[in-house]
Amino acid sequence: MIYKLIHKTKYAYSTRVNKYNGLACLQPLNNHWQKCYAFDITIQPDPLEIKSRVDFFGNTLHYFNIDTPHKQLIVEAKSKVESSLRDISVLNLNITCAEAKSHIKKNLLLKNELGLYFMKSHFIDWDAEIIDFAQPSFVPDLPLYQCVQNLCYRIFTEFEFNSKYTEVNTPLKVVLRDKKGVCQDFSHLAITCIRSMGFAARYVSGYLETRPAAGKKKLQGSDASHAWISVYIPEAGWCEFDPTNNIIPQERHIVTAYGRDYGDVVPLKGIIFSAGHHKLKVEVDVIPVLEGL
Amino acid sequence: MHTQISSNLIQNYCAQINGLDEILEKDGRIKPYWQQLFNNIEVMGLTELGNRGTDILAKLKENGVTYNVYDSSEGNNRPWKLDPIPFLIEQKEWDEISKGLIQRAQLIDAIYKDIYGPRHLIKEGILPSQVIFGNEGFLPACFDVKIPSDNQLIICAIDFARGPDNRMWVMDRRTQSPSGMGYVIENRSVISKYVPELTRGLALRRLAPFLNKFQGAISGLSPDKNGHPNIVYLTPGPQTETFYEHAFIASNFGYPLVMGDDLMVRNGMVWLKSISGLEKVDVIIRRVDDEYCDPLELREDSHLGVSGLLQAMRLGNVVVLNPPGSNVLENHALLPFMKGACQFFFKQDLLLPNIATWWCGQEKELKYVLANLDKLIVKKASGKEHHRSIFTRILSEKQLGELRLKILANPEQYVAQEESSLRTAPSLVNGRIEPRLAVSRAFLVSDGRDYHVMNGGLTRSSADSNLFVISNQLGGMSKDTWIVSDKAFESNERVVINNNKIDFKQAALPSKSAENLFWAGRYCERILVTTKAINLIINTLQDNITLGGTPKSQHLEILLKALSHVTLFYPGFLTEKMRTQPYKGILNIIRDPKMMSSVTTTLKSFLRCVTAVNDKWNHDTRTYINAIESNFSQFDDLDEFDPNRIHKMMTKLQSRLFSFYGIFAESFPRDEGYYLFESGKLVERILAQISLIRAVFNTKYTAHVEKELIEAILINHNLLVYYRQLYKSFVNLETTLDVVLIDEKLPYSLGYMLGKLAEYLSHLPNNTYPERISLVGKAILEAQTKIRLADIDSLTNYDEDDHRLFNLDALLASIYTLVSGVTDLLSNQYFSHAVLQHSLKRYSDENELDADDI
Repeated sequence: MIYKLIHKTKYAYSTRVNKYNGLACLQPLNNHWQKCYAFDITIQPDPLEIKSRVDFFGNTLHYFNIDTPHKQLIVEAKSKVESSLRDISVLNLNITCAEAKSHIKKNLLLKNELGLYFMKSHFIDWDAEIIDFAQPSFVPDLPLYQCVQNLCYRIFTEFEFNSKYTEVNTPLKVVLRDKKGVCQDFSHLAITCIRSMGFAARYVSGYLETRPAAGKKKLQGSDASHAWISVYIPEAGWCEFDPTNNIIPQERHIVTAYGRDYGDVVPLKGIIFSAGHHKLKVEVDVIPVLEGL
Repeated sequence: MHTQISSNLIQNYCAQINGLDEILEKDGRIKPYWQQLFNNIEVMGLTELGNRGTDILAKLKENGVTYNVYDSSEGNNRPWKLDPIPFLIEQKEWDEISKGLIQRAQLIDAIYKDIYGPRHLIKEGILPSQVIFGNEGFLPACFDVKIPSDNQLIICAIDFARGPDNRMWVMDRRTQSPSGMGYVIENRSVISKYVPELTRGLALRRLAPFLNKFQGAISGLSPDKNGHPNIVYLTPGPQTETFYEHAFIASNFGYPLVMGDDLMVRNGMVWLKSISGLEKVDVIIRRVDDEYCDPLELREDSHLGVSGLLQAMRLGNVVVLNPPGSNVLENHALLPFMKGACQFFFKQDLLLPNIATWWCGQEKELKYVLANLDKLIVKKASGKEHHRSIFTRILSEKQLGELRLKILANPEQYVAQEESSLRTAPSLVNGRIEPRLAVSRAFLVSDGRDYHVMNGGLTRSSADSNLFVISNQLGGMSKDTWIVSDKAFESNERVVINNNKIDFKQAALPSKSAENLFWAGRYCERILVTTKAINLIINTLQDNITLGGTPKSQHLEILLKALSHVTLFYPGFLTEKMRTQPYKGILNIIRDPKMMSSVTTTLKSFLRCVTAVNDKWNHDTRTYINAIESNFSQFDDLDEFDPNRIHKMMTKLQSRLFSFYGIFAESFPRDEGYYLFESGKLVERILAQISLIRAVFNTKYTAHVEKELIEAILINHNLLVYYRQLYKSFVNLETTLDVVLIDEKLPYSLGYMLGKLAEYLSHLPNNTYPERISLVGKAILEAQTKIRLADIDSLTNYDEDDHRLFNLDALLASIYTLVSGVTDLLSNQYFSHAVLQHSLKRYSDENELDADDI
């Protein structure tokens, strides 16, 4: 499937902003099931410069610098992405948790290579409470893949999706206690559980194409950026899971970036030079492009 | 080399040695150069050495050499301590140690480049990935941030101490912004002044060659090879522990001392916001910790860094020393892997051994540590937080159990080190020479390819003779490290400042320094104005108060009210009640910490401003500033029943402030900073004078009251003598107003002060329209003209009904408005870009300041 993606972020400031340094992580990446054909970022007011680079994790970032005084900032990223089905049937997904552990332990090179994704990071930290929550899903004799699916199922069924309840810095403890949150919280929770069990997991930032209810026309800006997880299954490689929707990501999941956690892949961040408050509005469209039209 | 004196001193010392000591060879003989030092002390006499030691501490205090302590309840600054007895290393041994230090620096540099590059050490299994990736010091954002030279870690510090095998062992290293070099320079200069006799018979290596190397290396890194490299010294600010050193190094080498918000990134380049506009910055020597360097890509809550700095580095437009990300090398868990890394990179053994270290993130090591938990030093591995070392042998069973659980919960976060029998060295403690454990810090700088070691260093000795706790926060002492031999080595090379700048170029004045200098002038003058007014009142009170204790005359009431207006002490003396206990009110004005304009508060603000521009003060000026600071403690002793003491105290403070003015006027370069300071001073003086005159002469009083008031004002304006020469005993308001307002010969007349202010302001750069008069210039010109055109006779006109001197008051009110607008105009023109980031959030939060423990 080919998609046209529009990710528009609008900041409105109560007082004039004199200067803005920004960093955008909005360009979909290329891998064996996804090709980004075209990408364009437009920023208003005109930045002095835009520079792109590939970061430590292999994601493409755009740095920009505005020094025109402004009260409104618009960053619009447009891209065209071809996303194909991921055939997981060819993979060996039968390795059990116990086997996976000893595989990693024996394979020092692998462990070192994945080192970053086994460890605590800014948003990922665990204690006994997290381990207690994770433990029931990870049965040593069951396939690791199945155990992660079970974890995602539990998060999907036991937790309520509530976009009003949490914000970027809500601690996982609160999410776990109140069983409410959004995709970012659920992904962090799942990653924390998986790492606490001794496996490698990373955070995926991207988009999910939503389908309008039958007979309804899709509303503009109704899509959203999305987050899910990627887990290293020995002998199969990195496999993705979507704990928010309890599905295995397929062509409707479009990947922008991978990182240890949200902190590594923030879609847009910036340092403003102003005293006022701001309002933020984000619109995302994931529009399927019908071939031949 | 030495003459044997039958030495009681050294025998006494030897008798106290418990274990191994620096002064002894392996076979127990006394090393000849230590013998020589003891002989020198013997000649001087131990009592004299003790006296000199006391003098040294006093001198360091007077120089303002301090070390900030965060958790100290008694103010922030702790004076730096220096032992007059140096730490000696013989040249031949030092040659070997230097090779080891250079090898170690090259190794650390190679590890840095590998971690933020190909990561061979991890891929080859030489270094467990957890040691790097599990460490908060590892910053993925820094992986492509390079500086244009082979070596990335340009400045490096390595701590070492002598181990039981008689070799020097590496204890620790500092890579992100090594501290201590400034203290070494200060220590050496004080030692050579106060105990020069101690060098007799000992040829001592000098610091100058290294300092010249240091400067050359840093200028050589500039991306701008043609012009004059613009090098700045980036400090987290006066709250940081080693701020004294930051200012000291900056002023020693002539680098502008800047804070994060003095800099900005624009068009991929770093710019210094100065009062003459933006100046491109080529090299930043930073003392801000890694993760605070760039809020855009690192800690977003940092107000100490520069947004976009990493990007400017990637573009090659600025060099930052050391590159951010280097904190990962301060991780203690790296120590056990140094040997393997050295083999891997250089096919060499370590020339200097490490202190035995076990990282608990490995199974075998963890087992060993837990089995031997009662005889180790346990630390957090992270080099980021400066946790105290735990000496397990002094722990109770219960504490050991708790520690065991902590380690087991997060083994990868802990390392343990052998509490080896390190050596003691002679230290002067309470007038006696006693053995104390000592650790030395060596400093290295790279010219891009090769490291050079400073022939000297910073040695610190433990406060306790038994425990190996070496920390300035815990009350240890510093020692000067002497590299000695029996023959002189080099010519007397001197430190050459800016040796590669052929054309001297005036360093830009950062906007924030400009603002601080302006306010330093204002605050200093405010204290003078206040203390002067207080003494005027005290004199008048003592002349007038009857034994009953209440003021009896009208002029006293007027003057008390005026004091309230001048010092913004409201309602204060405007109330009848306060006027009946005037000394209570006066003490309020002096020391009420909640009152914005009290002497105490103003003094604090003054010191804050002068400290923030510490790099601007020469040594003598700093001595005067420190003398002013010492006045604080004396306010507490004042009481309202001893007005003479209050008067004396105010006079003392005044004379100290005048000394500061004096040294400032005699020595401060006539640059923009000077004119801003002087402008601040004049603005404050003018505003205070106007407030006073308006409060005193708003009404036409009876001749008797008027005479008393005129006399008071003339005294306050230092004009009484002059006035009497001119007008003898004839006193009237017209002649008074003439000397106070109009006569431009008199330094305290409004006319004179406005003229000077106009002159000083005209020296400031006029960036927007150089050919026109600036807004602030216009304001002062208007005020000056009003005074010049004023007609004295009409100024003394008063209203027949309410006796108000309406013309005088209107004139003074309009001048007050014009002059009080100066601060805002200057701020808009020169300082305002300095506060952009401030306005988001003030960084008063101590957690935000990085730790810079030595």
